[in-house]
Amino acid sequence: LNAAPGRAPRQHVRFLPAPGDGGATGLVAARVPVLADHPLVRGPRFRRLKIGAGHRLDVKASGVFVLGIGHGNALLTDLYNCHLTKVYTVGGLFGKATDDFSDTGKLVEKTTFDHITREKLERILAVIQGTNHKALLMHSNIDMKTQEAYEMAVKGLIRPMGKSPPIITAIRCLQLTLPEFQLEIHCLHETQQYLRKIVHEIGLELKSSAVCTQVRRIRDGVFTLDDALLRTQWNLQSIQNAIWDCQLKVKTELEKTLG
Amino acid sequence: AAAAMWGALRGVRRPPPALRRGLAKPAGPRSVRQLREAEEAAPVFQYVGKAAKRKDRVYVWGFCYSGALGVPSFVKPDVGWKKPRRIQTTPYRLETEEKISSAACGYGFTLLSSNTTDITKVWGMGLNKDSQLGFQRSRRERTKGYEYVLEPSPIPLPLEKPQQTRVLQVSCGRAHSLILTDSEGVFTMGNNSYGQCGRKVVEDETYSESHLIHQLKEFDSRVVQVVCGQDHSLFRTKKGAVYACGWGADGQTGLGHYNITSVPTKLCGDIAGVNIIQVSSYGDCCLAVSDEGDVFGWGNSEYLQLASVTETTQVNVPRHLPFKVGKIKEAACGGTGNIVLTEEGNVFVWGYGILGKGPNLIETAVPEMIPPSLFGRSDFNPDIRVAHVRCGLSQFAALTNRGELFVWGKNIRGCLGTGRMEDQYFPWRVTVPGEVVDVACGVDHMVSMVKSFT
Repeated sequence: LNAAPGRAPRQHVRFLPAPGDGGATGLVAARVPVLADHPLVRGPRFRRLKIGAGHRLDVKASGVFVLGIGHGNALLTDLYNCHLTKVYTVGGLFGKATDDFSDTGKLVEKTTFDHITREKLERILAVIQGTNHKALLMHSNIDMKTQEAYEMAVKGLIRPMGKSPPIITAIRCLQLTLPEFQLEIHCLHETQQYLRKIVHEIGLELKSSAVCTQVRRIRDGVFTLDDALLRTQWNLQSIQNAIWDCQLKVKTELEKTLG
Repeated sequence: AAAAMWGALRGVRRPPPALRRGLAKPAGPRSVRQLREAEEAAPVFQYVGKAAKRKDRVYVWGFCYSGALGVPSFVKPDVGWKKPRRIQTTPYRLETEEKISSAACGYGFTLLSSNTTDITKVWGMGLNKDSQLGFQRSRRERTKGYEYVLEPSPIPLPLEKPQQTRVLQVSCGRAHSLILTDSEGVFTMGNNSYGQCGRKVVEDETYSESHLIHQLKEFDSRVVQVVCGQDHSLFRTKKGAVYACGWGADGQTGLGHYNITSVPTKLCGDIAGVNIIQVSSYGDCCLAVSDEGDVFGWGNSEYLQLASVTETTQVNVPRHLPFKVGKIKEAACGGTGNIVLTEEGNVFVWGYGILGKGPNLIETAVPEMIPPSLFGRSDFNPDIRVAHVRCGLSQFAALTNRGELFVWGKNIRGCLGTGRMEDQYFPWRVTVPGEVVDVACGVDHMVSMVKSFT
């Protein structure tokens, strides 16, 4: 960054002695750069960069992780207040139960799972979605008796705009090949450990047990996997391109939600 | 002496190997191979086999003091320090001996029936002041009966072939009840001051502690559905005809007059010759659905239930209701509001009261659709449809094809089951631990038949 051409130095008008026959008292106005802006005086433009992180992603999970640089950190707070949903792909395995709900934990129990069918799993997911939808309406702190509440519920715009426990807005099964299965979960205010706990509880509801093998965030608000930079792309040019591409999206989303 | 001690201590050795106990190696962090071996050696538990069947359960909620919920500990707690529970605001499991195939809620009492060929086929609980639950012999005095039945108690039916006849359906009104069997007609019990039991009105008859159960057999064909209104009864036969008896001052018998009828008589009017596939009533208004998807109504119209065809407040002849909502699959009548379900799975409401479209819609004569997004339909779940609709006196209930139950309306004594005591102005999910198969709505309580998930 420091190697890029910096700001041009400021110019000011100074009255310099006229060149020519020495000893003459004429002053000529000349525009000269301010000495204080000289790169040797100022030093490198960037000594440190302020980088802030968006929603947390823990060590065992992977996926989209939003960072803000410099003035973008203010946008991060605004994005947090928008309370947009995040989408995860969660992979699970039936037949085992561990103490920290993931497959690297200490084994607690092993169970059979041959009685599980896609139909039963979908039924459980429908109930989870239903109870979370109820929680969504309850935590959004609007009076159920008003006409506005009814209209917003019809449009599906009711969302908790403050602190709330983790809520799953949508959940569905992408594939089920015993003993493995994959779910797509849309959620708000969650942690990855909560998602692993949900996988464990789905196993319990199906009268078996399940552990979570993979948690991958596919979308975080407006940022999807396509916008994310790979490990090989962590260089200045790609970062600058990414920031430029996302600016418009972030601006429109903030205007839409926060007005 | 000190030097000798030091010398002995310096030369101290561990006890000779022969005396050492053979302890296991000290426990340290186990290697990956050890962990994997331990995992594979762990026992596998089986909680449920491949052919495990889903269990059928009954959940009840609402006002408890009448005994209609069938849980005696709500009214008379079995432990001294517990207080009687007035209202059960969330679904509570009711243990039953058999699988319950049909349930009906009346005004303060409930009937449950099973499809079995055992001798006990029908159980009743709640108010019994008019013998709407039959004669429940009191254990203290053999000649007296119970006025309030707190537990599901068997109702003895005078069947000719008790081990062959099956009970198909039950229905409850304000103070009378009807039981439909497959080969022995309809049994009626309870209050008969308006002839709603289908027998002649006897003046000054005392209905409490009465042993009388009347049997109705003479219809043009087999009766396939029985419905109780507040003080009248409707019978639908296999040929598609509708019979009625009982109070008629609001025209709810649909026989062309406003008098009492004590013998079930066939209805004419717009439904003559039409094959009716479903009848419904709970208050004083009645609706019938034909096989072509048309809906007919008669009875009380003070709350604009039939205002689309007539301005009069009582209609005593069935009239066709020309609604352009599509082919109608099911209809349900409440006290002041009505609801229909179309073939596409959309729900339409009209009438008076809390109709389900927010606090601003209080009354309408023309059916208004409830947006399907309130029942959970979205881009994520585009194929959620409402499968059944039911009505209580001022509540509505809808069952989706995913087995979810949505209720809305006036929350009289906690009958909605939402866990709160406020009225609900738009459809709200009731969390039941299972897939809801059927629900019966009463005035202040509800009963649901639920299949467990796995």
